[in-house]
Amino acid sequence: MHHRPAVEIKDLYYAYPDGTIALRGIDLTIEEGESVGIVGPNAAGKSTLLLHLNGILVGRGEVKIFGLPVEKKNLREIRHRVGLVFQDPDDQLFSPTVFDDVAFGPINMGLTPEEILAEVSRALEEVGLEGVEGRSAHHLSYGQKKRVSIATVLSMRPDLLVLDEPSSNLDPRTRREFSELLQGMKITKIMVTHDLPFVFENCDRVVILSQGRLVADGDAFSILSDEDLLFQHGLELPYGFYPARNERTGDLRDLYREN
Amino acid sequence: MKHAFLDEHSHLDSPIHRLDPRAKLVGFVVLIAVCVTTPPDLYAAFALYLGLEIAILVMSRLPLKHVLRRMLIVLPFILMVAIFLPFFSKGGGSYNLGPVTVSGHGLMVLWNVAIKSTISVLAVILLSSTTPFPELLRGMEKMRIPHMLTTLLSFMYRYIFVLIDEMQRMRRARDSRGWKGKWIWQAKVIGHMIASLFIRSYERGERVYAAMLARGYGGEVQTLYLHQFGVMEMGFLALMILTPLAARIII
Repeated sequence: MHHRPAVEIKDLYYAYPDGTIALRGIDLTIEEGESVGIVGPNAAGKSTLLLHLNGILVGRGEVKIFGLPVEKKNLREIRHRVGLVFQDPDDQLFSPTVFDDVAFGPINMGLTPEEILAEVSRALEEVGLEGVEGRSAHHLSYGQKKRVSIATVLSMRPDLLVLDEPSSNLDPRTRREFSELLQGMKITKIMVTHDLPFVFENCDRVVILSQGRLVADGDAFSILSDEDLLFQHGLELPYGFYPARNERTGDLRDLYREN
Repeated sequence: MKHAFLDEHSHLDSPIHRLDPRAKLVGFVVLIAVCVTTPPDLYAAFALYLGLEIAILVMSRLPLKHVLRRMLIVLPFILMVAIFLPFFSKGGGSYNLGPVTVSGHGLMVLWNVAIKSTISVLAVILLSSTTPFPELLRGMEKMRIPHMLTTLLSFMYRYIFVLIDEMQRMRRARDSRGWKGKWIWQAKVIGHMIASLFIRSYERGERVYAAMLARGYGGEVQTLYLHQFGVMEMGFLALMILTPLAARIII
């Protein structure tokens, strides 16, 4: 079969209508099955880059998703295959009930009522939240809203999950549970954040975006253990956190160095 | 922050709760329309409307306290206006009550306003307490009420408390820095808060739109309608439409 990466970006430029240049020539290829963290300080262009992955923003350059160029005639299929979850659940969940929100994508895909019902309950089950269908998003806890946000794209059976600041505003336990939920999902994942421990936990590969350019790309351990590189680009490891290789399992684990 | 539900108790289970929202919407609207056009001296008709509502109230198993509390919120405003009518109105004979005189015509107007607003408010409370607001919206959509309108209402239902929270946070931030809204020139601060709330809402609107596009939005919000218009609905409508109409014609 012809080789088709999940994401293929070539020489992408984007300037906002007010003239602010957000992306200055991005080249990035992401293979199917990878989980990639895009890190960078505020205003590095992270969220702008995400919005190019399903054609909400269209810049100069080339973006292909599973081989399909992001252009008007492909948008329908691309938006079906790319599940984009926004940072603020109050933006992601705009319908009067949880059910309507999770069903929104499948309805737009033109599924039959039986299929829609099945997808909604499967998606909610996958995020561990059965039985909240009739509730209004306003009456859910923040962690539940985050989970429902994921369910709203899982119901469309995406091949690529794209998350904007997935760990923001979560308390430690909710954050850990949310991280476990993400790790359990075996699809291609891209997340942008400046939460480096979260990236270390969830991603095999890390790219650094700084002032609209990709300045580093490598496996999570080598990028996140290079403190000079991080510092140069406005990123710093939180106090007390140092990535270390877990020799016993060969896994990358975040261990806390003693003292 | 915690807010009151707009449609509290609407998730209970009862024969009334289970009805198709369309039937309830039409039924209660017809009841209100018939009620407000009834001449005020048809006392038996009003007794019948009220009896009908009480029957529905019993069938819906709504807590009586909830219904009374809701009525207490709305009714005083209406009665406040009407209560003075008997004293200032002329004609229709008059009664002496110690130092003041009360006109018979004015009393009739007071009765008219009081009974009609009671029945109408009770109808609205029964409708909103037995039908979740989103389902009511879907019923309206199904009845060909323009999508633009129902979509607008659905966003209002979703975001009104988000906005109230946002305003609350701004107010706390303001008061924490020692603001006292005493002087007229400090009204400027309120102006800034309103402007800032507007900008925040505008930006949220853009983000929400992006989130809708990301899930394949193509210009029309579609929802899944799961209610069936069956025998129960027909029965309910017959009760709600035929009984008051019959009362009007016969009495």
